[in-house]
Amino acid sequence: MGIGNVGTSDAALVRRVQAGDTGAYADLVARYRDRLGRYALHMLGNREDAEEVLQDAFVRAYRSLARCDDPERFGAWLYGILVNRCRTAGARATRRARRFVHDPAALETAPLAGPDGQAEWDDTVRWALARLPSESREAFLLKHVEELEYEDMARLTGAGVSALKMRVKRAREQLQAMLKEAERV
Amino acid sequence: MFNPVDDAVERIARHLRRPVQIDPALDGRVMREISALPAPGRATLGGEVWRWLRRPHQFTLTPLGGLVAAAALTVGVLLYRMASTPPAPPQGESRAFQFVLVAPRATHVELVGDFNDWDATRTPMRRTGREALWTAVVPLVPGRYHYAFFVDGSRWLADPSAPVARDEDYGQPSSVLTVGGGS
Repeated sequence: MGIGNVGTSDAALVRRVQAGDTGAYADLVARYRDRLGRYALHMLGNREDAEEVLQDAFVRAYRSLARCDDPERFGAWLYGILVNRCRTAGARATRRARRFVHDPAALETAPLAGPDGQAEWDDTVRWALARLPSESREAFLLKHVEELEYEDMARLTGAGVSALKMRVKRAREQLQAMLKEAERV
Repeated sequence: MFNPVDDAVERIARHLRRPVQIDPALDGRVMREISALPAPGRATLGGEVWRWLRRPHQFTLTPLGGLVAAAALTVGVLLYRMASTPPAPPQGESRAFQFVLVAPRATHVELVGDFNDWDATRTPMRRTGREALWTAVVPLVPGRYHYAFFVDGSRWLADPSAPVARDEDYGQPSSVLTVGGGS
């Protein structure tokens, strides 16, 4: 799966916004809210931060819409803005020495622990993801969750394909090791 | 073949791929914030030109026009080839390269790099001789490859006999091998 394959209606909406129809932007926000929100939530591990970053990304995209050279690929362009905002927010969180905290809202909406231990698994996955270095987490999410091609990831992140492959590989190994650790506890 | 790493990673990825619902009130917050901003306006002339160049186009040529266009293209290509640097070396057949690491205390070593997608399961190195030489032979076509040795499942080593890749690109030590196109 690539990125930005969202059809011509994106381009039509972008052109309407560029022509002064601000209301058309609401359709773009609604269209991309949940998908981009998923990336931000997994990347930052916190719903409040994810929504703040997502809102910021949408506003920045609006401000820069005149520089969106290819409205057909608005989705990919917007994704790039979000990835950058998540990096900035992640660095800020690191400077604050903030620890990974559970997201109460997500826990409330998470499935109840069933016979298969769904809630525990959810906690374990988020715990492991939060312990990955941010570059590895970013590469892992883009590759295995957003299912982007390495070339698309390179365009979004500015990193080389080789570097991205290495980060994904490291992330996979670290996640595997952390799962083993969690299973021992 | 069953691979426990792939299985665990796939379980995690499947879990994370589940749809996430973001509070729809976010839409309202975004729209309120942008209502105070000036309209973004249209793309710049440069952006429009760039977009036009990237779009596929269809042209209709008369036979005479086609001949003229073909002649102009031929002249253009000839001029370009005369003015440009010598052409790149021809793509050659793959050649076998032997990678060697001395690691007396290692229990297992894998060769990882661009040529095997950094997959540690694909190119295990063989221990030979008393000096604990670890070797692997890989067929490579001309190109530039980054690679590293993965020792005992935890330690990354760059090749001490090869140029080192810039650290900031990888976060781990790695080396660069350039395979030429000549014989």
